[in-house]
Amino acid sequence: MPTFNFNINGAMRQFEVDADMPVLWLLRDYAGLTGTRYGCGIAQCGACTIHLDGKAVRSCTVTCAAAAGKKILTIEGLSPDGSHPLQQAWIQEDVPQCGYCQAGQIMSAAALLNTNASPSDDAIHTAMAGNICRCGTYVRIRKAIKTAIALQAKTSSL
Amino acid sequence: MNRRQFMRVMPLAGGGFMLSFYGLGKTPPAMQDTAPTAESAALGDFLSILPGGEVIFNVTRHEMGQGVSTALAMIIAEELCADFRQVSITYPDADPQKYTEAKGGHGTGGSSTVISMTPILRQAGATAREMLVQAAAAQWNTTPANCYAANHAVIHRKTGQQAGFGTLAAAAAKLPPPASAKLKNSKDFSIIGQPQPGKTLPLLVTGKLAYGMDASVPGMQYALVARCPVFKGKVGSYDAAKALAVKGVSKVVTTRAVAGLQGPVYPYDIREGVAIIASSYWAAKKGRDQLTVNWEEGPHAHASIAGFEAMAAQRGGQRIDPVGYTGEVNAIANIDHAKHSLRAGYVFPYMLHSLMEPLNCTAHFKGDSCELWTGTQWPEYITDEIHRIFGIPKEKVLIHLFPSGGGFGRRAFPDAAIEALCISREAGNIPVKVTWTREDDHQTNFAHCYQRLDYQAAWDDNGQLYAWYEKECRTYMWDRTYPATELTSIGYNIPNIRYDFEDLTSQSIIQSTAWRSVMSNGWALSECFVDEVAATLKKDPYAFRLSLLVEGREVNVGRAEKVSNTRLLKVLRLAKEKSDWDHPLPKGRGRGIAAYPYGNSYCAIIAEVTVQDNKVSVDKVICAVDCGMVVNPSGARNQVEGGVVWGLSALLYGGVDIRNGRVTGGNFNRHKVVRIHECPDIEVHFVEAQDEQPWGLGEISNPVTVPAVLNAIYAATGKRVRTLPVTLNHTDV
Repeated sequence: MPTFNFNINGAMRQFEVDADMPVLWLLRDYAGLTGTRYGCGIAQCGACTIHLDGKAVRSCTVTCAAAAGKKILTIEGLSPDGSHPLQQAWIQEDVPQCGYCQAGQIMSAAALLNTNASPSDDAIHTAMAGNICRCGTYVRIRKAIKTAIALQAKTSSL
Repeated sequence: MNRRQFMRVMPLAGGGFMLSFYGLGKTPPAMQDTAPTAESAALGDFLSILPGGEVIFNVTRHEMGQGVSTALAMIIAEELCADFRQVSITYPDADPQKYTEAKGGHGTGGSSTVISMTPILRQAGATAREMLVQAAAAQWNTTPANCYAANHAVIHRKTGQQAGFGTLAAAAAKLPPPASAKLKNSKDFSIIGQPQPGKTLPLLVTGKLAYGMDASVPGMQYALVARCPVFKGKVGSYDAAKALAVKGVSKVVTTRAVAGLQGPVYPYDIREGVAIIASSYWAAKKGRDQLTVNWEEGPHAHASIAGFEAMAAQRGGQRIDPVGYTGEVNAIANIDHAKHSLRAGYVFPYMLHSLMEPLNCTAHFKGDSCELWTGTQWPEYITDEIHRIFGIPKEKVLIHLFPSGGGFGRRAFPDAAIEALCISREAGNIPVKVTWTREDDHQTNFAHCYQRLDYQAAWDDNGQLYAWYEKECRTYMWDRTYPATELTSIGYNIPNIRYDFEDLTSQSIIQSTAWRSVMSNGWALSECFVDEVAATLKKDPYAFRLSLLVEGREVNVGRAEKVSNTRLLKVLRLAKEKSDWDHPLPKGRGRGIAAYPYGNSYCAIIAEVTVQDNKVSVDKVICAVDCGMVVNPSGARNQVEGGVVWGLSALLYGGVDIRNGRVTGGNFNRHKVVRIHECPDIEVHFVEAQDEQPWGLGEISNPVTVPAVLNAIYAATGKRVRTLPVTLNHTDV
């Protein structure tokens, strides 16, 4: 098996893995980063959402070969201490129920806020439509994204 | 699932366990921050306190998203007089010897956790509080009566001296617990009733909360199973040569030894399959893709959902001996000759769970003992079945418990654990993590039972409803005796009511199981038929329901909780008050109402829909709930909101298509669930009842959502939809 160099949450790590193995399984079974979740394997549910060079991607359909050398950001690396405005907002609005999908939800929302500091409701729906929550916390996800936007505005105006 | 039934089964699951080697046990890695340590002092079975004051609460019931970790922590912290910010939670290993039936056991379902654990945890919290007070009194050479606990400390009434819980815990732990501790007055509650964010959230939003899927054991291998695509089929022959050639694949074994096993009382069925064992999930997946199996498809090889539905419809039309009736049984028979009558058949079809965390179990068979790592609603059932099937003594079954990414009834059954343990054994006693792919989940899993309800009603010349008949055909029995005496939860004041039941379990073409709210999903469709009667009589659906309810009236439906007309009236009135019921919506839009109990909680929902080009969008859903005391208003609202979305997924995308014995839907691309842009605005209002006991609400809103939306679709279009998912082209059942 080939050896690849990966930039995971800012750290360079080397793994000998199948070139066609999805990054999801690299993260979970090799790198010990289990916050990225398996939900469907075909980019339909969003539970495995990570950032690749700053863009939200479904890690279940990105191969190791394609991800090698690019910047991989997972939920564990979103902030050093859980203080990202979305993480704070998720707690403030008490969003999760089972929580299994929520890392993916937060990573999708984080990618949205990276490119659009003040998204419309439609833009929120478009960005989040790829993330399924079976517990049905959508009302709170909407609200928490708006709370995070307000938190972010407050921080940046300081 | 039905609460009474679930509580009845628990005694069979508990008791008699001897786990002599049990210590405090391993906790999921992410929870180690809060796990009890050597320096913590245990105050009873649920609490320990660290010298720094941190209180650690053992969550013994299963957390699967229903918020019990936080709600139960609030209940015990309330009686302890703790500062809730200093309370952490942990998930101990299953320990039926320690967590006996009297302590609530581990079994979790039927929205019963808060109901049954409240008295146990209030007493446990109060006991710990009294021990802390006693320790402080001894330290200050005074009597406990001169001391009281408040805000995480004990205070001397006279001197004002204070000692934090952390400094008292070690001494308190050495004291004999009082036989009975005095509980707080609910008027003095300061934690219960205040919204609290979930205790797991800091770990959860950083990706560190560990689920069963995250279990990792030294030497662990990964397995995927190719299960027979047809219910009750078998492995004929298989060719594993190509699978074994995949790098990382080490073994290929079958699950024949446990396949076809049935739950002795509570139903499950293990599908026969071939397991690929490999060094990683990915290698196992690639290996499985290379496997060739010739299946012996068995009795359901040619089964189709269309054929099954035709059979169910034929059965639904036949009267049989009633399970029960009120009034005059012949009044029902005479509906056929009534001057004014109506009949309609409704279906709540098979439904998939689509748990976000697919089923999984890590198991290690060790000959005369075994170890498992999994999220389960009922570890005692797993232990019982492992003993029965593998002959391992119950005290040699060690189950490490994890929270689950959704349970909804499916994780109450032991099949995934038994299958994983079998694979571990067949693979040579190595630890194996068995993961179900989403396709496995959607194509070879259990489903909500199929329920067909055939209704008839008759009224006199004055429009007075005098007879109501319903016949239910269902593919699931919670246990063998069900439903010997139980009626559906019709609360309306109709003089003659009759309920017939026919069990279609043996005709079912997939395995039926518990699915959030279980039978109530089908039962609540009576709220559509009530609507049909109201429309036929040209009466307002809200006013018509009120006319059928009598303040103070209680209806015996064969279980402990009677159906209260007063509480139905309360939720109906509250929902109407919060809506614009008296202001009709424009053309193309409609508003529908429904109300139904679950256990001893009540819910009314008013839904607003828009129907355009035969496409339904649900705009707004207003929920009024009476669940007695609300422990955690934030978690409680979350449950009701989530139930609405759960109901909408069933409405818009539910049902299971089966052809040639196979479930045809695959992944989420073909078997859909509601996404964020389809989610309506949801309002949740609680009836004020904080001086009553809590009654549970994880399953209250989804059964009511379905008829409320179906009635709204009728209001918008004039079309009655009588089966799910909603299709407006052909609607007759």
